[in-house]
Amino acid sequence: MTRMNRRHALSLIGAAATLPALGRPALAGTKINVGALHFTSHAASFVAFERGYFSDEGLDVEFKFFQAAQPMAVAVASGDADFGVTAISGGLVSLAEKGAAKVIGGALSEEPGIDGQKILASNAAYDNGLTSPAGLDGKSFGITQAGSSFHYMGSKIGMAEGVKPKFKPLQKVGAIIGALKSGQIDAWSIVPHIAKGLAGAGKVKIIGNVSDYIPNYQVTTVFTSANIVSGDRGKAEAFLRAFSRGADDYNAALVDKTAGDDAAMAMVELIHKYVYADKPLEKAEKSIRNGAMRINKGAALNMASVRDQLNWFKSEGLVKDSITEETLVDPSFVEIVN
Amino acid sequence: MADDLSAPKTTMPKTRMQVSEARPVRFRGGGFRPARRRWLGPLVFVVLIALAEWGTRSGWIGNLTLPRPSDVASTLWEMALSGRLWLHLAPSLTRLFVGATLGVSAGIAVGLLIGLFTYARAALVPLVAALFPIPKIALLPLFVIWFGIDEMSKYALIAFGTFTPTVVATYGAVDNVDRTLIRMGQSFGLSWHSIVRKIVLPGAMPGILSGLRISLAIAVILLVAAEMLGAEYGIGAFILEAGSLYDLERLFAGVTILSLLGVTISFALGLVEAKLLNWRS
Amino acid sequence: MELSLRNVSHAYGETQVLDDISLRVPAGQISCIVGPSGCGKSTLLRLIGGLERPTEGEILQLGNPPAGCLNPLTYVFQDFALLPWRTAEGNVRLVLEEHRLTYSEVKEITYDVLGRTSLLEFRDVLPKNLSGGMKQRVAIARALAVKPAVMLMDEPLSALDAQTRELLMEDLVRLWLRTPFTSVYVTHNLAEAVRLGHRVVVLSRRPGRIRETVDISLPLDQRDRGNPMLADIENHLWDIMRDEAAEADQELVHGG
Repeated sequence: MTRMNRRHALSLIGAAATLPALGRPALAGTKINVGALHFTSHAASFVAFERGYFSDEGLDVEFKFFQAAQPMAVAVASGDADFGVTAISGGLVSLAEKGAAKVIGGALSEEPGIDGQKILASNAAYDNGLTSPAGLDGKSFGITQAGSSFHYMGSKIGMAEGVKPKFKPLQKVGAIIGALKSGQIDAWSIVPHIAKGLAGAGKVKIIGNVSDYIPNYQVTTVFTSANIVSGDRGKAEAFLRAFSRGADDYNAALVDKTAGDDAAMAMVELIHKYVYADKPLEKAEKSIRNGAMRINKGAALNMASVRDQLNWFKSEGLVKDSITEETLVDPSFVEIVN
Repeated sequence: MADDLSAPKTTMPKTRMQVSEARPVRFRGGGFRPARRRWLGPLVFVVLIALAEWGTRSGWIGNLTLPRPSDVASTLWEMALSGRLWLHLAPSLTRLFVGATLGVSAGIAVGLLIGLFTYARAALVPLVAALFPIPKIALLPLFVIWFGIDEMSKYALIAFGTFTPTVVATYGAVDNVDRTLIRMGQSFGLSWHSIVRKIVLPGAMPGILSGLRISLAIAVILLVAAEMLGAEYGIGAFILEAGSLYDLERLFAGVTILSLLGVTISFALGLVEAKLLNWRS
Repeated sequence: MELSLRNVSHAYGETQVLDDISLRVPAGQISCIVGPSGCGKSTLLRLIGGLERPTEGEILQLGNPPAGCLNPLTYVFQDFALLPWRTAEGNVRLVLEEHRLTYSEVKEITYDVLGRTSLLEFRDVLPKNLSGGMKQRVAIARALAVKPAVMLMDEPLSALDAQTRELLMEDLVRLWLRTPFTSVYVTHNLAEAVRLGHRVVVLSRRPGRIRETVDISLPLDQRDRGNPMLADIENHLWDIMRDEAAEADQELVHGG
């Protein structure tokens, strides 16, 4: 009975908190763990943390950093992290099917006019004629694991060009970069700040844009555990509100560039704390600016893209056919766009 | 009174021991000799699997914790029917065979050198001791640079992993060959070659074969590691994929295959031992 | 072929094992070497067989080995030294494979020596299934197969129980009577020495010197158990050895 009451109360408070006029945090001192990668695509969370948007919502956030997207999904399912922001992976879908995780919002998106993810070729492969994605037939394409976003991108690019790349699972982004630089694999696709960094150093060649093959690709999503969705909605709503404010700041500063130079520089400095922290600011700045991609306003979710990804997972036999959109996504938190 | 004087009693040696005090000697032997109980091993498996099946069906084991054994079995069955089992098994068996053959034969050769030649021993034993504890998995990225991302680096990893334990087992086994047999060979004027081939090698065979048990188990473990980098098909790649997809049924199906592979290898080695070492008393 | 040892001394590092041994091993006779344990008798045998080099003195072969001899100096070991992975026949073949013999020659020799040691019906049996006495008979057959000029027998019966030892002694006598062979026979057992030896060389305790050489003229086939003459010789030998053995027993064990 008491739990029912508390949950009920929380959801009331959560609902009340959505009123814009309410001035005080509804969930004072709630501790949450947020999974993140050291990528600019996680900037919205970093901004929300640094600028106190999480505190404003009464969320005491601690980041948990991961090396790849899939372990983050497992951490959310196991309760070691409350929220994750990362690509939809086969692991995430499987965990959703087991009732352990749910997508509740969208984050990074490919958008026409904004420089998005790049398709890369190794220098050796480029010299041997891999100068456009049309030449990927039979070429080795680096992926972290089967069912990762890299796998999805490579597969979609191949389908669009009518070619079949050979996918090489290498577990970690670092391993893929190493293999691409040394010519052990031929091609890869990755977010622009990494792609441009590598190409700028002459280590690889950029041969195309992911957005030409997967327009409006919903690259990363916000997800949480099923327990929070069903029993702690207020927490999720508070997180998404703070996350959206962070996204707005980020988009204004680096994507739309409407906030002015000072704001942009301040944003670069803020992100530098988390991304390329081991490089001097001058060097990191270019990569951070280059890597700016749209983080959806209000954490809106592109359902059409999610549907396409889900269908791809099914067609590849990576997840069970029985999984529906409803199993994967709870659309009640954010605006759904198509 | 007359009874007390009767003859038999007086001729008996005097003893204070009363008949009523006679008792059997307390048994204190036994134990320390494991007997064979063939049924117990399989029984443990059956009980554990039954427990998991019942637990997952009744719900006190969550579907995130363990897959249902019957689902794992049906996953395996479907894999076998669809041919996917063979698709994954064939490259793994090839890697295992090629890698282990390379590593074991090089290991036996180097182990023999160490066992037979003073200089080889002095030069190589420290090197082998230094190589042994290196987790071969840590060298995988290096092997990829050296041997390429395709099959060669996988062969190399398994070969390297089986090499060092085979070396150690082999030279230990050569050291343990009965020296009087070697002296006998010399006393009959057998050539160095014949002594190595007809006395040292067969004499070292028990040690080499028991080293092989360890080496081949390591080969199976390294198979999964080898398939971490750039393998599309293979039991290891299949397990890693299932793990990243959080598909527990396939994960356990893969693990079951590996485990069966280990049992099969162990059984085959047992047969080889029974055949080759029938001379052991 | 005869053997002659001239002023042979041997030391392991600081420890003097044998001191100035001069000895002739006459052809067609069994020369027994007896002595207390640790007197260096086995070392002497290894020196004779060329498995070790003496630190001083020389060991000479006089004359040529008989025709067809494949391995002039051939050992019979105390612990048999049979390859456990070869059958009785395989163990005999081992020492023939080394020589250029035709298949039928190998077969003929193998069957001959196994027949002489009454092992024909056990030729396919592995050593693990043979009794101690049979194992040593295989080892003797193996030694006979190479038609040795001199058989170097290192306590060949010491690993066997008393009854088996008796039976094997009878076998050895029969073998010698059939075809006399030259042998240096090392033992610590005086009864064996007087039953088998044409001459018995008694060594002192370490460092081993020759204390006495006793020739026994009684033919081997007349040396029954309990023969009073043999008993006398045995008692005589024991008198010589007794003090040496007692003192040797008191010594602390040093390495070799």
